[in-house]
Amino acid sequence: MQGYIYPNEFELQWGLLIVLYPYITGLVAGAFILASLERVFNVREVQPTYRLALLTALAFLLVAPLPLQAHLGHPERSYEIFMTPNKRSAMAMFGFVYAWYLTVVLLLEIWFDYRRDFVRWARESRGIRRWLYYGLTLGATDVSPRAVAFDESAGRWITVIGIPSAFLLHGYVGFIFGSIKANPWWSSVLMPVVFLFSAMVSGIALVLFLYMLTTMFRWRKIDMTCLEKLAQFLFYALVVDFSLEALDFIHRLYEAEESIQILAQMVENRLFLSLIVLQLLFGTLIPLGLLAVFSPGLRKGGFVRASAELKQLVFLTSAVLIQIGIFSIRWNVVIGGQLFSKSLRGLTVYKAQLLGIEGIGVTLALLALPFVILWVLVKIMPPWSDEPAETGSNAPEQPATA
Amino acid sequence: MPQQVPRLIAVFVIAIGTLVLARRFLVPETFGEFGHYRGAAVDSIAARPVKFAGRQACAPCHGSIDAQRLAGHHRDLACEICHGPAASHASAPLSGKPEIRRERALCLLCHAFDPSRPTGFPQVDSVTHNTRIPCMTCHAPHAPEPPVTPRECSACHGGIDRQKAVSHHATLRCTTCHDAPESHRQNPRAVLPTKPTDRAFCGGCHSGMPPGGLIPQVDLERHGQPYLCWQCHYPHFPEAGI
Ligand code: HEC
Ligand code: HEC
Ligand code: HEC
Ligand code: HEC
Ligand code: HEC
Ligand code: HEC
Ligand code: HEC
Ligand code: HEC
Repeated sequence: MQGYIYPNEFELQWGLLIVLYPYITGLVAGAFILASLERVFNVREVQPTYRLALLTALAFLLVAPLPLQAHLGHPERSYEIFMTPNKRSAMAMFGFVYAWYLTVVLLLEIWFDYRRDFVRWARESRGIRRWLYYGLTLGATDVSPRAVAFDESAGRWITVIGIPSAFLLHGYVGFIFGSIKANPWWSSVLMPVVFLFSAMVSGIALVLFLYMLTTMFRWRKIDMTCLEKLAQFLFYALVVDFSLEALDFIHRLYEAEESIQILAQMVENRLFLSLIVLQLLFGTLIPLGLLAVFSPGLRKGGFVRASAELKQLVFLTSAVLIQIGIFSIRWNVVIGGQLFSKSLRGLTVYKAQLLGIEGIGVTLALLALPFVILWVLVKIMPPWSDEPAETGSNAPEQPATA
Repeated sequence: MPQQVPRLIAVFVIAIGTLVLARRFLVPETFGEFGHYRGAAVDSIAARPVKFAGRQACAPCHGSIDAQRLAGHHRDLACEICHGPAASHASAPLSGKPEIRRERALCLLCHAFDPSRPTGFPQVDSVTHNTRIPCMTCHAPHAPEPPVTPRECSACHGGIDRQKAVSHHATLRCTTCHDAPESHRQNPRAVLPTKPTDRAFCGGCHSGMPPGGLIPQVDLERHGQPYLCWQCHYPHFPEAGI
C-alpha cells in the first residue's frame, strides 16, 4: 500500500481467475474467427487448421465459465441466472451470450462439418464407439450428395452468423470492463474493440502453436504455405491490435484526465513488469519484429531468406511470446483496474494465493483443462485430413458437389 | 426437407422445452412479488430461530459486568460480539454457556492496524505489540484501559503517523502543528487538540525565507488563493509533484 486508499480498496475482489476468464474467452473467439476465415472468405491455405481451430474453440469454450464458477461464493446457485435473469445487468446476460454461442454457433457448425464423418465412423467402428458416433449423428445418416451439400451450405450460413457472435462473445467481455464508468482504467469505448483484436491475435497464435505441435507429434510434415499464411494473419492482427492499444494509450495521455497521474504511477511501479516488459516488449514488439521479418506479412517470403526449420522456430517463439503477452494484457486490465484508489491518491498491492480456490494452482489446472478436453475431442473426432482415406483420393473436407 | 433439419429442430425443441419446464419448477412461485427476489423469502427469514438475545438481555443477570462495560471504552460493544450468539443461554442459563474466546485474534479483529480504520481508533501492530501474550493479561476485556497512557500519538493515530513517516513532512513532529494537551491522550474524545486554521500557519515555514533552502517556498499572496492550503495538499502527506 502506498498513499491514500479507501477502506474497501484494500483487498482486491477480482483476482487471478477473473484474469483467466477474458483470456480464455479471447482464445475461443480468436480461434473461431480464424476458422471462419477459411469458410467465409475462402482462404484455402489455412484449411488444414480449420477443424483444429473449431475443436480448440470448443475445448476452451467449455472451460470458459469455470473460472467464474470457481470465483463465485455459491457456484451451485449459478443456474439461477438462466432462471430469473436480471435483464438490466450486463453480467447476468453472460449465460445467454454463452449459450447462444455454444449451441447455435459452435456446436452446430462442428456438427454440420463432421456429420458425414460421424456416419462414416459409425459404419466403420463397432461396439461402444459405433453407438457414440451414431448418437452424434442424431440419427441423420443421409450422406447423399444433396444432404452433404446441405451440410455445406448450412455450415456456411452458421459461420456468417458466427462471426458477429464471436465478436459479441468477446466484445461483451470487453464491454463489461469498458462500461464501468467509475474506473478510469477500464472505462473506455475502445475496450470491446481492443479486446476483440487481442482475442484474434491470441486465437490465431494458439491455433498456430497447436497446429505445429500436433503435426510434429504425428510425425507429419508441416504445411509451410498454411503456416506462413497463419503467420501472415497473425502479423496483421497484431498490427491492428497494437495500433488500437497505442491509440487508446495516446488518447488517454492527450486527454490527461485527473486520473492520469496515478495511472502513470501505477504503470511505472506496479505494472512495470507485466505491462512494459511482458505485454509491450515481449508480447508485442518482439513478435511484431520477428513476424515482420520472417512472415510474408510485409513482403512475399519475408525479408530474409530462411530455411523452413528456422521459420518454424521463429513462428513458434512468436506464438508463445504472444500468449504470454495477451495473458499480461488481461492481467493488466483486470488487476490494474483495482490497484489504484478511486481517490486517485494511492496504490494497493495484489498478491496471488498459491493454493485455495482462487489461487495459482487452480488457475494452472484450469489452463491445462482445455488441452485435456481438446485431446479427448481429437481422439473422438480427429480433425486431420491427411489420414489414409479409404475412399481413394477425396479428402473429407472437399465438398462432394463439384 | 433434408433429414438434418427435423433432427436439429427436435434437439432444440427438447433443449428449450427443458429450460421452460425447469423454469416452471425451479423459479419459486413468489418470485418477483416485491422485487427481483423470492417474495416468500421475507416470511421464511422471519421464521428462522432467533440466535442473538440482543443488547439488553444480559444485564439483569450479569449486572456487574455490564456496569463495568458501560463505564469503559467498550461501552458501545454488545456482549454477543465477543461471546457469540447467546439467545439460548439467556433463556436457559444453566443448560448452556456462551463461548469465551481468549485468543489474541478476537481483539485483533477490531484492533489490528488497518489503514482504513477511522481516525483515533485504537490500533496496534499485532506483530510488535507484546507478541504472543494474551491481550487479557494487560487489558481487561470488559473495561479495557491501556496500562499506561500512550506516549506516542501513533498509538491511536497509526494511519496518520505511518503516512507522515514517508512524506515530505516526516521530520515534523505532530505537536508542531497540533497543540495536544496531555489530557487528550487520557480522554481523547473529550479533549481535542487544535488544528491549524489559516494559510499563514503553513506560510510560517513555506514563505518568507530565501529560496533555495531546504523548505520549498511559495508566494503566500498568490499561490493557491483563495483556498486553505490543505484543500489541495494533505498536510500529513503533502504532494506537489503529482
Ligand atoms: C437469566 C440469567 C442470565 C442471563 C439473561 C444471561 N446469563 Fe450468562 N450466565 C448466567 C448464569 C447463571 C451463569 C453461570 C453458569 C454456570 O456457571 O454454569 C452465566 C454464565 C455466563 C458466562 C460464563 C460462562 C463460563 O464459561 O464461565 C458468559 C460468558 C455469559 N454467561 C454470557 C452471557 C451473555 C453474553 C448474556 C446475554 C446474551 C447472558 N450471559 C445472559 C445467567 C444469565
Ligand atoms: C471485547 C469482548 C468482550 C465483550 C464485549 C464482553 N466480553 Fe465477557 N469476556 C470476554 C473475555 C475475553 C473473557 C475472558 C476473560 C478472562 O478469561 O480473563 C470474558 C469473560 C466473561 C465472563 C466470565 C468471566 C468473568 O469475568 O466473570 C462473563 C460472565 C462475561 N464475560 C460476560 C459478559 C457480558 C454479560 C458482557 C456484556 C455486558 C460481556 N461479557 C462483554 C470478552 C468480552
Ligand atoms: C467489535 C470490535 C472490538 C473488539 C472485538 C474489541 N474491541 Fe477494544 N475497542 C473497540 C472500540 C469500539 C473501542 C473504543 C474506541 C474509542 O473510544 O474510540 C475499543 C477500545 C479499546 C481499548 C482502548 C482504550 C483507550 O484507551 O482508548 C483497548 C485497550 C481495547 N479496546 C482492548 C481490547 C481488547 C484487549 C480486546 C479483546 C478482548 C478488544 N479490545 C476487543 C472495539 C473492539
Ligand atoms: C504486556 C502487556 C500488554 C499486552 C499483552 C497487550 N497490550 Fe495493548 N498495550 C499495552 C500498553 C502498555 C499500552 C500503552 C502503551 C503504548 O503502546 O503506547 C497498550 C496499548 C494498547 C492499545 C492502544 C491504547 C489506546 O488507548 O488506544 C490497544 C488498542 C491495545 N493495546 C490493544 C491490545 C491488544 C488487542 C492486545 C492483544 C493482541 C494487546 N493490546 C496486548 C500493554 C499490553
Ligand atoms: C488514546 C488514544 C489517542 C492518543 C494517544 C492521541 N489521540 Fe488524538 N485523537 C484520538 C481520538 C479518539 C480522536 C477523536 C477522533 C474523532 O472524534 O474523530 C482524536 C482526535 C485528534 C485530532 C483531531 C481533532 C479534531 O478536531 O478533529 C487531532 C489533531 C489529534 N487527535 C492529534 C493528536 C496528537 C498530536 C496526539 C499526540 C500528542 C494524539 N492525538 C494522541 C485518540 C488519541
Ligand atoms: C504540517 C503540519 C501538520 C503535522 C506535522 C501534523 N498535522 Fe495533523 N493536521 C494538520 C492540518 C492542517 C489538519 C487539518 C486538516 C483538515 O482540516 O482537513 C490536520 C488534521 C489532523 C487530524 C484530524 C483530521 C484527520 O485527517 O483525521 C488528526 C487526527 C491529525 N491531524 C493528527 C495528526 C497526527 C497524529 C500527527 C503526527 C503523526 C499530525 N497530525 C501531524 C496539520 C498537521
Ligand atoms: C515546521 C515547518 C513546516 C510547516 C509548518 C509546514 N511545512 Fe511543508 N514542508 C516543510 C519541509 C521541511 C518540507 C520539505 C521536506 C523535503 O525536503 O522534502 C516541506 C514540504 C512541503 C511540500 C512539498 C512537497 C513536495 O512534494 O515537494 C508541501 C506541498 C508542503 N510542505 C505543504 C505544507 C502545508 C500545506 C503546510 C501547512 C499545513 C505545511 N507544509 C507546513 C516544513 C514545513
Ligand atoms: C488550489 C490548490 C492549492 C492551494 C490552495 C495551495 N497549493 Fe501549494 N501547490 C499546488 C500545486 C498544484 C502545486 C504543484 C505545482 C507548483 O509547483 O506550482 C503546489 C506546490 C506547492 C509547494 C511546492 C513548491 C515547490 O517549489 O516544490 C509548496 C511548498 C506548496 N505548494 C505549499 C503551499 C502552501 C503553504 C499553501 C497554503 C498557503 C498552498 N500550497 C496552497 C496547489 C495548491
